[in-house]
Amino acid sequence: MLALDVRNVSKSYPNFQLRNVSFQLEQGYIMGFIGANGAGKTTTIKSILNMTRMDSGEVHILGKNMAEHEIELKQEIGYAMGGVDFYTRSKMKTLTDVVKRFYANWDDETYRNYMRTFKLDENKKIAELSTGMKVKYNLAIALSHGAKLLILDEPTSGLDPVARDELLDIFQGLVAGGEISILFSTHITSDLEKCADFITFIENGQIIRSVEKEEFKESYLLLNGAANQLNQVKDRLISYKINSFGFTGLIHASDYDSACGIKAAIPSLEEIMIYFAKKEDQYV
Amino acid sequence: MYNLIMKDVKLGVPFFYFLFPVLIGALMLIPGWIYFVVLLYFCWITIPNLFNQFKAQNDLMFTSMMPVTKRDMVKARVLVVIGLELLHILIAAIFGVFTMLLYPNLTYFFFPPNIGFWGLGIVMFAIFNLIFIPMFYKTAYKFGWALLVSVTAAMLFAGVAQWLGIQNPVLSDIFYGTGAGQLLNQTIILIAGIVIFAVFSFIAYRIAVKRFMQVEV
Repeated sequence: MLALDVRNVSKSYPNFQLRNVSFQLEQGYIMGFIGANGAGKTTTIKSILNMTRMDSGEVHILGKNMAEHEIELKQEIGYAMGGVDFYTRSKMKTLTDVVKRFYANWDDETYRNYMRTFKLDENKKIAELSTGMKVKYNLAIALSHGAKLLILDEPTSGLDPVARDELLDIFQGLVAGGEISILFSTHITSDLEKCADFITFIENGQIIRSVEKEEFKESYLLLNGAANQLNQVKDRLISYKINSFGFTGLIHASDYDSACGIKAAIPSLEEIMIYFAKKEDQYV
Repeated sequence: MYNLIMKDVKLGVPFFYFLFPVLIGALMLIPGWIYFVVLLYFCWITIPNLFNQFKAQNDLMFTSMMPVTKRDMVKARVLVVIGLELLHILIAAIFGVFTMLLYPNLTYFFFPPNIGFWGLGIVMFAIFNLIFIPMFYKTAYKFGWALLVSVTAAMLFAGVAQWLGIQNPVLSDIFYGTGAGQLLNQTIILIAGIVIFAVFSFIAYRIAVKRFMQVEV
């Protein structure tokens, strides 16, 4: 079953457009949602959650149309944002007491277990938590109301490497059961190298690709050549940088001719993101 | 709906603002004062502090993440405001009774705190709600202009009502008299005031929902 099915979502702002955004996430997997700042990640997520009005398109979650079953589906969605705080002067205990009333499937036992596992003390105020602890607290809430789809907007931004790694392990543990799915937006691509199954790449309001992670990386090649070789491939490159040794550029794997003798390697997610962003700049 | 109101009571509205009506209500004990001011303190102090608090704590985003409809979000917030207004009036009225008992022979220049006056007080809140709530829900976070316009309207109403009460002999007789006939008229005014408050607040809620539907969180 599809945990999340986004179909042709479009939305226009005066200076920005989300154009025909479509992607699907199978239940039980982690999808990394990557793109540069301002590429449309948060707008897409807000559209999924019905927090902004879409101009057109549909969102289906766990087989149901979000527009028609918003209240019912929000019971099944856990949402955590990095860097946004609510009621920071209240204790977690107070906040939990308020939040849990909204959820039909709230389980106190599960909540206590996660609070213990995450080493969170209920009597602490939100303002006293570190960034990592805040994400964990949000996760504990989401998991205690039995969320099947976790939508995490930059959950690891601002975390130290140790806390990030720990969270990534938690994410992987969660999806292992096959029931929970995670959509994970970030621009820290190394996190996704570690834990994502699928990658959806958004650039300037458009989905460039949404596929399995390795397939995503293998569909591009990073070329490393001498300056005089640049003209052979220049037209086919997505973008390139010139340096003292020659050039490096990103190319669609299908556009690459191995006979040209230019060294090619599989790029990292970060390199793909950077070269796509560079391409946008060229047209500005 | 109940959960949303409880959310405001437990998180959104600091406890102080449930205590505030008692502090402000005690001002009713000042003999012969302009008692409209006691109610206006709600608009001058409670409302801006409350809505600043909601904004500072990202209440809009927080609530939007819960499984609730936008309509219910508005309904709950309007009910919380109405609840606090009624609390203010009720407590002020209780202090008003003591004022009447404490100074039985006082000659009132401004309205005495009788049944008719509370009728006017509740209409003043009705006017405040009708303007403040729909204006606020254009954005659901900016409240400056909404507050300015609604408070000005409420104060204008209070000023004009007080002026007419002094200048117009018929109204003066109704609001300052203590006879059975005047009491009956004052009771009718209070009931009419309650009806106007209910109708205006309902209209305010309806317009606010319509506007809030267009708001992007």
